[in-house]
Amino acid sequence: MSRAVSVEGLWWKYVGRSDHALRGVDLEVERGEFFAIMGHSGAGKTTLILVLTGIIPQRVPGEFRGRVEVLGMSTVSQDVSEITKRVAVVFEDPEIQFVMSTVEDELVLSLEPLGLSREEIRERLKWGLELVGLDKSFLGRSPLQLSGGEKQRVAIAAAVARRPELLILDEPTSDLDPVGKEEVLAAIRKLRDELDMTIILIEHESEFVAELADRVAVLSEGRVAAVGEPRYVFSRYDELKSHGVYPPDAAAISFKLGLDTICRYGDLFRALESVRDRLFVHADRIPNVEKVGEGEVLVECRDVEYVYPGGFRALKGASLTIRGGELVALVGPNGGGKTTLAKVVSGLFRPSMGEVLVLGRRVEEYDRLTLSSLVCYVYQNPDHQIFNKSVYEEISFGLRIRGLSERVVRERVRRALEVFGLKGLENEHPFFLSKGEKRRLALASAYVLDPKVLIVDEPTTGQDMRFNESLFSNLKALTREGRAVVTITHSIALASKYADRLVVVKDGRVIADGHPRSVLLSPAADEGRLIKPQAMRLAKQLGLTAAPVSAEEFLEIVTLR
Amino acid sequence: MPTILGELAGVESKSSRYLSLHVSTKIFLPLSFAVAIFFATDPIKALLLAAASAGACVAAGVPLSAIKRYLAVIVSMSSFIVLAFSLFTHIPGKTLFEVTLLSMQAEKGVFEWKLSLTDTGLTYALTFILRIFAMILSATLLMATVTDRDFVWGLLSLKVPFGACVATSLFFRGLQLFASDFYTIREAMMARGVDFERTSLAKRFLLYVNALIPLLSLMITRSYEVSLALESRGIAPGSRAASGYYTFRMRRDDYAVIAVSVTLIIVYVLWGRIP
Repeated sequence: MSRAVSVEGLWWKYVGRSDHALRGVDLEVERGEFFAIMGHSGAGKTTLILVLTGIIPQRVPGEFRGRVEVLGMSTVSQDVSEITKRVAVVFEDPEIQFVMSTVEDELVLSLEPLGLSREEIRERLKWGLELVGLDKSFLGRSPLQLSGGEKQRVAIAAAVARRPELLILDEPTSDLDPVGKEEVLAAIRKLRDELDMTIILIEHESEFVAELADRVAVLSEGRVAAVGEPRYVFSRYDELKSHGVYPPDAAAISFKLGLDTICRYGDLFRALESVRDRLFVHADRIPNVEKVGEGEVLVECRDVEYVYPGGFRALKGASLTIRGGELVALVGPNGGGKTTLAKVVSGLFRPSMGEVLVLGRRVEEYDRLTLSSLVCYVYQNPDHQIFNKSVYEEISFGLRIRGLSERVVRERVRRALEVFGLKGLENEHPFFLSKGEKRRLALASAYVLDPKVLIVDEPTTGQDMRFNESLFSNLKALTREGRAVVTITHSIALASKYADRLVVVKDGRVIADGHPRSVLLSPAADEGRLIKPQAMRLAKQLGLTAAPVSAEEFLEIVTLR
Repeated sequence: MPTILGELAGVESKSSRYLSLHVSTKIFLPLSFAVAIFFATDPIKALLLAAASAGACVAAGVPLSAIKRYLAVIVSMSSFIVLAFSLFTHIPGKTLFEVTLLSMQAEKGVFEWKLSLTDTGLTYALTFILRIFAMILSATLLMATVTDRDFVWGLLSLKVPFGACVATSLFFRGLQLFASDFYTIREAMMARGVDFERTSLAKRFLLYVNALIPLLSLMITRSYEVSLALESRGIAPGSRAASGYYTFRMRRDDYAVIAVSVTLIIVYVLWGRIP
């Protein structure tokens, strides 16, 4: 096989930054290979992609050193417009990539620079859409009205229709719900199986990488920390965790059981089947059904309906009780009503029917200032929430509009800075914080108000597992102070591990509510199309009576004699 | 595909025949009304122009009930126009009504501020009101019959550089994103206790100024991301559309509408100039 990508001694520093984003990267990708790149947030993954397309250093100013060749072209001397005729990129946020107002125009836009005939364009539109599982009926639709999975598949179709020799997918599933993820993964599988194309996939979810990739590289602090077949890379279990990469449950289980490292689910099942007589199961170590809900009732929603101004009925009789000391995870497909329900709970939306009680009083009876001190909402994108000139001012804003004394403000801000690890950044302009720091700042600005209920909307999107684990343990710690934390999330693994309750919202209704284990075992898990943790699927397939929700729990109940 | 007014206010043309006209025609007809407005200098000309604009809206299937939404604006604007020609300026002519509001003895005589209604002043006011009507109707006609897609592909068919066409499309996308971000930021402020309804005007203004910070930050981030996404698709400011995938052809209906538009402009330019 000849090389599709060859990177030697690559160093890159953005203008105005003191540190290099890439520090001596050496990498080779063979033609036809499915190559995955993993790493913590800020490791340099997206920067590397921009280098591979020539946008760095040709369009973005900075210091460049090293040699990069893509499909035999030097990305320094060959113009970007020539490189992009043979290389296509799909970015993380499909909405940002959409420029035109219909799917047809969006696809045509990608093909315009290639100078194809009208007939050829028509043929490629059809082919591209079919390849990602969409049909011609999508051509006239607005990309913004599609579901998350459909949007990302349109973005992939627009890239693939150009018939690139190298396709780069930058975290294509990170913004999606489980259904959208599955749709996009099916499309990627099809690309891998049917096209003779080199694919580079940047992904946080090791389970997908293990299933799809021929080889994987782990980037850490701008360097290649590990590279090789998934089986080899994921065997470096503890080392990977220090780089913010969490191997799939299958790798963790096989590694800890002393088997050869196995990273694909099916392989692990077969391996465990073959040693079934040596497996010792302590099913009683984890209960199958657990009790929930003993704290004080803080919020109660009764048969709530909500109709948006355009007439869309987002909630159709949703009921929910939130108690103190609980971490509640709202899960379910996009468009199911999770965010609307959370906004109704926080009083941002007034229910069209039904009632919402906060500490026993109807939300309508509270003024905004009082209600937001009791129930506070943290937005998915911290950029929507941060508007002050320094971290200190941002955190203290809510306290100042409540007219608290300077001494109290200082004390509360100091505590919030400590809890969310922002100490030392008080005078920093929020604009210059990292994504993770901005997210923590948004949380601190809500926490400082000392709310009884803190609602956090999809805090893990686009973040690495190390950050997500630390964030969830932070949220869990807040519940020990007696407050309730409600989080909207697509990460069933994190929700199962940290949440006290899993609430499945679908079609404007709460279809399941209970301990994560019991919800995942109920039919509602399939109805809500939740992707169950590998450990739970494995236990079920092996016929175990216990239902572990994580690799750690699986290893607690299963030992190899 | 919703038109611009359809997206903003849910009002759009219902005539499929008009909507199928070439985008240049759909832009040219309201434009001809806008040009004629400059020459509508008396109430008769202005009234005919307003009627013609209304007629065009009806013919294009634009529901005139949409104008109801702007009734308050139109009424208050009309009142201001009448006041402007009676309270703040004296238009020479036959005085119909006059009352002195303020009279002050100064060193060099008496300063008087009067409410003075003259026949010429009333004629001017009426002309202005009718011209504004014509403007609102022609703008409604344009916005209720043209989609942002029309604009972009219309520009392409007119051989405007590809980069400029993509920029136009981005402008429309930017407007949508700006509006949605603004509402989210406003809501995020409310989530922290800001009550816009009970806040004084001055404080509200300051809060909106504050909202500009995240809006600006989001605009910068998004512009950067969009430009990277476009570059990675091989689209740069100097790119050319090489395929000719979209070609628009003028048809008989287009020529007829354009002929009417040109005639309208000629009539208004020449009206009163030829003895």
